[in-house]
Amino acid sequence: MADGSKTKTFIVTRFDPDRHEAPTTETYEVPVRERWKVLDALNYIKDELDPTLSHRWSCRMAVCGSCGMNVNGEPKLTCKTSLAEYGDTVRVEPLANFPVVRDLVVELDGFMDKFRAVKPWIIKAKERAVEEGPHRQSPEELEVFRQFSMCINCMLCYAACPVVANEPEFLGPAAIALGHRYNEDSRDEGARERNRIFRGEGTIFSCSYANECSEVCPKHVDPAAAINQAKFRAVLDWAASFVTSGPREE
Amino acid sequence: MRKLLLQLEPVIWLLFGQGILIGTLLLTGWGLVLGVLLPLGMVPEEALSYDRALRVGGSLLGRLVLLGLAALPLWKEAHHLRSLSIDFGGAERDVWIAPLLYAIAALGSLLALVAVFRIPFPG
Amino acid sequence: MARMAHPQAMQPARPPRTRTARPKAPDYLRPRMLSYLLFDATGIVYLLAGLVVLRAVFALASGPAAWQAFVADLHHPGYVAFHLLTFVSAVFVGVRFFRLFPKAQPARIGPLRPPPRPLIHAMLYAVWIAVTAFVVAAMVGVIP
Repeated sequence: MADGSKTKTFIVTRFDPDRHEAPTTETYEVPVRERWKVLDALNYIKDELDPTLSHRWSCRMAVCGSCGMNVNGEPKLTCKTSLAEYGDTVRVEPLANFPVVRDLVVELDGFMDKFRAVKPWIIKAKERAVEEGPHRQSPEELEVFRQFSMCINCMLCYAACPVVANEPEFLGPAAIALGHRYNEDSRDEGARERNRIFRGEGTIFSCSYANECSEVCPKHVDPAAAINQAKFRAVLDWAASFVTSGPREE
Repeated sequence: MRKLLLQLEPVIWLLFGQGILIGTLLLTGWGLVLGVLLPLGMVPEEALSYDRALRVGGSLLGRLVLLGLAALPLWKEAHHLRSLSIDFGGAERDVWIAPLLYAIAALGSLLALVAVFRIPFPG
Repeated sequence: MARMAHPQAMQPARPPRTRTARPKAPDYLRPRMLSYLLFDATGIVYLLAGLVVLRAVFALASGPAAWQAFVADLHHPGYVAFHLLTFVSAVFVGVRFFRLFPKAQPARIGPLRPPPRPLIHAMLYAVWIAVTAFVVAAMVGVIP
């Protein structure tokens, strides 16, 4: 075309809870400009072709974590995913493993519940007084968990995980990685509390190390590493319990 | 049963870890000899004779290796087949699949332990 | 994406306000996912391989006749094909597992720090080659 655009076919999931029993698809022809991301095409559809399409997005710079969708079967941040990666047909679906509210918009409440469960905040036996100054941490101590603190809650890891698909109680990659991040934080004293949660049904040992969460993570958080390090810690705790005072009742 | 399994998870994971690590280290050579070198005629008759097998397999290291080769892969198997079962919609049937698979691994390990002790001791 | 996920996957503790469509499961046919499923499926090979070794140990314990029968069976094409599969499976499992192993080590274990990840990876390969060479040498009669 004269303006340098190339037409691509978008197969987009549509679901209106008032009209549809189950999700269907709709096909759109979009004149894709060079350097467009998947999100640009979705915005074009909404602005120019079909204003009824619903999708979430905000920052356009891979920080807010709201534009996650399955693109050609793989969970992606649509603002970060270039259309040049794909051929003439692009399939856009809501994130797998999540109930669908409408079109490409998924239900978040279940995810939020799982996040809360791991107590993702610094727990102190005794709160420090303001006069005592800040909690100090060396760069080495920060490096131990820094990677696991980079999560933007985009939920791609949940959409990729085969365990999430089949075990509804499973806490899942991002939540466990976040719990592990606080456990490894030198300022935190809540590891005992969180490990009690980690030793419950549907937590670290439910992970089968498919590593898909880490493969799709746009921020290189590597949740699979966090979960398996947490398992390693649980084994060490279990072994230590024999050295100290016999098997510990938790 | 579910609660017991939950308490045993670290032990099971440890055995699984050894199964996949040591099991793989040992099975590679075992498979290479019996699946590649043997059909190529590169394993001398004498190497697999009873006397030599008894001498090698009956040594302390031999017994340990045989125990590892027989028992550890079973833990890798149990854990992985369990997760495969869950991956194909088996969260509910895991209630009996998991105990069954781990019981097979435990029984196999016990048999392996008995068997390596049954190998005649030299002298 | 034809498979459906568990009906309650990622469902909130309280039911959602509006009717939602049931979640779909991740695409199991992507190459990475197939490789993971195959990795788990090698469990069947490991189970049978363990049982064959168990039979070997029992044969060795039972005397020369039982051992000779076992060795004769090892030459059977079925056994040979299975052991070839065992070899291929072990290599496949090793390559994937040794890649995933280093990052599962916690950054600190008490005062100890594990070696850098690439070094762990290299060490695993070195041990793998050494153990395989040792097992092969012992089985074909080079050592002891």
